Amino acid sequence: MKKMSTFSEYRKEIMDAAHNERVGIALSRAIKSYRSNTDNALKKFPDSAKMAEEVRQIKEKSIGEMEKLAEQACEAIESNKGKAYIAKTSADALNIIGELVGTGKLIVKGKSMTGEEIGLREHLEEKGNEVYETDLGEFIIQKLGSKPMHITSPAIHVPREDVAQLFSKITGEQLPPDIETLVATARRLLRDKYFEADIGMSGANVISAQTGTMFLIENEGNIRLATGAPPVHIALIGMEKLVPSFGDACKVAEVTWRYANYTVPSYVSLISGPSKTGDIEKVTTYGAHGPKELHVIFLNDGRTELAKHPVLRQALYCLRCGGCLYECPVFAVTAGHFGDKYFSANGAVWAATISHNLEKAAAVAYTCLTCGRCKVRCPVDIDGPAMIINLRKMIAGQE
Amino acid sequence: MDKKTKDLMPPGLSYMADNIITKHNILGAARGAGAKWAEGLNLPRQSETVFFAGCGYQFSSDLESLMSLIRKMDKSAIGSDIPMGLAGLQKKIGVDFAGMYRKISARDKDKAGQPLKDAVNVLRGLGIDFGYMADDEPCCGGLLHYIGLQNEFGQNARNTYEIFKNSGVKRIIGIVPSCTYTLRDLLPLYIDGFDLEVKHFLEVVLEGIGSRELRFPRQVKVTYHDPCQLSRYLGLIEEPRQILRSIKGIELVEPEWTSGEWSTCCGGGGGFEAVFPELSEILSVNRTKELLETGADIIVTHCPGCIMQIKNGLKILKRDDVEVLDLAQVVAMAMGV
Repeated sequence: MKKMSTFSEYRKEIMDAAHNERVGIALSRAIKSYRSNTDNALKKFPDSAKMAEEVRQIKEKSIGEMEKLAEQACEAIESNKGKAYIAKTSADALNIIGELVGTGKLIVKGKSMTGEEIGLREHLEEKGNEVYETDLGEFIIQKLGSKPMHITSPAIHVPREDVAQLFSKITGEQLPPDIETLVATARRLLRDKYFEADIGMSGANVISAQTGTMFLIENEGNIRLATGAPPVHIALIGMEKLVPSFGDACKVAEVTWRYANYTVPSYVSLISGPSKTGDIEKVTTYGAHGPKELHVIFLNDGRTELAKHPVLRQALYCLRCGGCLYECPVFAVTAGHFGDKYFSANGAVWAATISHNLEKAAAVAYTCLTCGRCKVRCPVDIDGPAMIINLRKMIAGQE
Repeated sequence: MDKKTKDLMPPGLSYMADNIITKHNILGAARGAGAKWAEGLNLPRQSETVFFAGCGYQFSSDLESLMSLIRKMDKSAIGSDIPMGLAGLQKKIGVDFAGMYRKISARDKDKAGQPLKDAVNVLRGLGIDFGYMADDEPCCGGLLHYIGLQNEFGQNARNTYEIFKNSGVKRIIGIVPSCTYTLRDLLPLYIDGFDLEVKHFLEVVLEGIGSRELRFPRQVKVTYHDPCQLSRYLGLIEEPRQILRSIKGIELVEPEWTSGEWSTCCGGGGGFEAVFPELSEILSVNRTKELLETGADIIVTHCPGCIMQIKNGLKILKRDDVEVLDLAQVVAMAMGV
């Protein structure tokens, strides 16, 4: 039989999702609470919209000078006694990290879409390492052998009953579909891993080039532990996360969590170098309580090329707050199946320009209604429909 | 279109694009088939101000039948894994689209043109002097832009502009949101010195209505569905609400979260309904549910695509107690024209 085309396969995938009542129920609940939480957060912090406008300008400028900012950040990190690298391609990034890690290691990982993008976990597992995703949603996804269905809530499509079933299988116990019990179970399963791990891994939400400080936004506390307890911390950061100053990074971070529906998250970790102390005779010694080594890998992989496109470059402004997805009528019934490595309009741009998969990009691009509600939500005013129409033009061979 | 384009463009879209390019309407209907709604209205064909009817309302009964057919096929095995254009499908299963248009009853055809007749009567009632180009009316070609055929759109835009200019048109009153946006905002991108004044029907109505007393024939609870192209593209959010609020007998109720610039798309946009007919239907049901939560007796909107989608949503939800009306019909009823 003839192999199904990418479009047919993709169409079947999204239609299966659209017919899955559980996906619909899980998402309609999530959308409702997202809207009311965000509304509440924006009312409590009415300056957010103004700050978002500033962030748009910061991103516009930064995306045009990613190469310069990456070099500057590398210098800053090195002078903080960390190690910094610029990976031209995703293969380069996997090689750099692969060599740093080696084989037979235990790794605890914070959630990272950039890691997902290049298949980092799979790569490290193939090399004979044991990798634990520590974000609860991502842990569920890993154990299900599935892929994330939302940027900030990867397991958004999995209801509690399914999680109980999964965790019962892992622990060999009969666990009830009670959310608190399930959260406690994940804590119990992962607790020791942080302290046994050889390496902790993370991404970053934003990084200041001048100081080399990365910002990690979270609520669970897994990132604090994963980047704090093991002796080595490796961070993989897409170059689009670079901004010039520490002040700029603060603004980007605040706008990110606000539009991700939080008044303020429980934790924001700022990391600029390895752990050190000068408490004995003022002699600087590395690896006090935190990691002795910090490695930061900046990933280009087509980003500087994408930055040159007048319309599609907007995809690089994305703060990954996930707000647009809650406003997308297609996403509301298909979740992350409407996308590739990233979702909806940004996902289509990424598929076409970073992954060079024009067939997949076409399938995703023609799933967009061009209704424009994503743009209304976006803190940095990314014009989803304009990007989609531009992609279609590209697909039609008219660019 | 070259082969690569046809390969990557989903089935359905290239068919509609070819229709626009060769037949000057989305459906590939014969020339003149659309202008029938205006027979007997005695609108002058030449005027400095013209009413632009567009494809959507004129062919709405054809579109409804076509969509219901496509949806049936989409749910069956035929549509699920054989990607092919509608033209190919037509050949394979022997559906005669052209014949199907002819079979639509005269009564349905009449109903299809009703919002246009009402709009004309409203404008006349407000004392506005205008004409209608009938079968000389060019196709705005908007769909070509949305599906990525900008070269063809540019060509169509220049032809369209020339047709207007040659018949001495200076002002256009649009009614289909998508056509109006295309004429007002997209055409100028392709034409140097574009000098047509394009307004939407609602803007003209609001200017003309003044302190005229408007009364709906009965006391009703109405909710308003914002078409994407009208709210987020043309920016007409307050205008329809102002009009509805000024009509005695109408109580306007809004859905929570999803009105104005936050309104949810009906599921038919930019050719989406032709590529994903079944998904489009699911989205129409979702949007209809949001609107029904308001407890309204009538859902008012102002776009032929939205009307078709919401009607279908109501049909699936078996809510024949709720009516869908076009805003032009509502205004005509309230003016008694």
